[in-house]
Amino acid sequence: MRESDARHQRAEGEARLEVGPGGITRLYQKAPLRLLFPTPEPGEPLQAALVNTAGGLAGGDAVRAELVLSHGAQALVTTPAAEKLYASLGPVASLRTRMEVGEGAALEYLPQEAILFDGARLDRRTEAHVAPGGALLATESLVLGRIARGEAWRRGTAREAWRLHLDGRLAWADAIALDEAARDAPHALDGAEALGLMLLAHPEAARHRELARDLTGGQASLPRPGLLLLRFLGRAVEVRAGIMAAIPALRSAALGRPATLPRLWTC
Amino acid sequence: MGMATTTTTMATATTITTTTDRMELQEGDFFRLLAWTSPAYPVGGFSYSHGIEMAVEEGRLPNAPALTAYITTVLMRGAGHVDGVMLCAAHDAAGDDAALDEVAEEAFAWRGTAEHALEATQQGGSFASVTATTWPDARFAAFAARHRGRLTHAVAFGAAAGFAGLARRPALLAYLHGFAANLVSAGVRLVPLGQTDGQRVTAALGPVIAAAADSAQATGREALATSAPLLDILSMRHETQYTRLFRS
Repeated sequence: MRESDARHQRAEGEARLEVGPGGITRLYQKAPLRLLFPTPEPGEPLQAALVNTAGGLAGGDAVRAELVLSHGAQALVTTPAAEKLYASLGPVASLRTRMEVGEGAALEYLPQEAILFDGARLDRRTEAHVAPGGALLATESLVLGRIARGEAWRRGTAREAWRLHLDGRLAWADAIALDEAARDAPHALDGAEALGLMLLAHPEAARHRELARDLTGGQASLPRPGLLLLRFLGRAVEVRAGIMAAIPALRSAALGRPATLPRLWTC
Repeated sequence: MGMATTTTTMATATTITTTTDRMELQEGDFFRLLAWTSPAYPVGGFSYSHGIEMAVEEGRLPNAPALTAYITTVLMRGAGHVDGVMLCAAHDAAGDDAALDEVAEEAFAWRGTAEHALEATQQGGSFASVTATTWPDARFAAFAARHRGRLTHAVAFGAAAGFAGLARRPALLAYLHGFAANLVSAGVRLVPLGQTDGQRVTAALGPVIAAAADSAQATGREALATSAPLLDILSMRHETQYTRLFRS
């Protein structure tokens, strides 16, 4: 039997969180995904921690999260640690996130980085629908290897796709597909160990463009009215530090929330 | 007239050239493609460098081989690949308004920086305007009017070719060649390179253009992805570059 024919039990986790102006209105979860709700600090909205109790994802695993904020609801969703993607025997690990932000609602979706072990195969798709007057501050980052222990991600594939709809219309589509050839191509990844993205969908996103440029050394743009994108590319520690600096600044400037990181990012 | 396609195998491209892909073009169609991709066609391509200006400023493009490598990445892993896939989709959808509108909206959404969006939509709008005037077609004019300000160059080109009954492969090759030649021209001015060195770059890009076309034809919109985040980042940095000759 070839290695790729081996049958393994695969995880299929699911979490669905619905929030209204008064708090949680519906919660569904299926292992290995869990949602925990740490007590918010003063001035903070509802906080949810998306936890993968399996500790990581292997090829063939699938997790799906859905976050729905109705009219006027407020929430922050984060993760307690980096998501680990183990070497795959063949199939991809699938991560799906779908967000809905209603009128006047504000969601922060701030997961920590995903770490690709050598040989990992990832297919991550994120979809967000933001209604008029709604706000979304989101981040996503990917570390190409267990850098701290000197292991590069040489084998495997990673695909990260985004679809953002503003006011019911597709506003931004993006997908990055990486493999060894992409890693080595000139003017493509620039030798980076990690890459990251932050986006702010907000009716007044344009007002924060200069701040975003200051935070990133000019790696920010307003491709459409109401959408600000920041990109990070470089050493793993620099990408993480850049995102850790941008989160407090942008949540404070754009959402009027405390200029702090979610506590789970630092403990 | 007949033009043989170049068959090139690259690690990231699937070679799908077959005898049915051999391009048989009517002379009128050939002239139309030459006109649409001529630097004299008033779309304003000369004002866009697609990040080359910033890459030169950062010392990334010291010579002709580096410029060739940069444009290769744009064609295979960046906007050239997105444009190729969307041009094919628009060509295929010409005649089905709902499908074509969806392609146009999606192609616009794929521009992830302000300058990449400007580059695509300003040229797209200009192309649509001059084409609708020069080769009147009520269906194309109506399509362009529905997407005013949001029409990318590649989608306008693909739709115009589709409505005109131009074969897809030659239209795709012509568009990608025009895109590449425009970047070579920007590189010649910025690196700077001699005119002959510039033409060497254009010649070296021939097989790359064919491979980019193969790759675009083999990729559906669902599977579309880029693989060169540095290109978006250079475009972002260009927005605040101190001295700028180009709009991208």
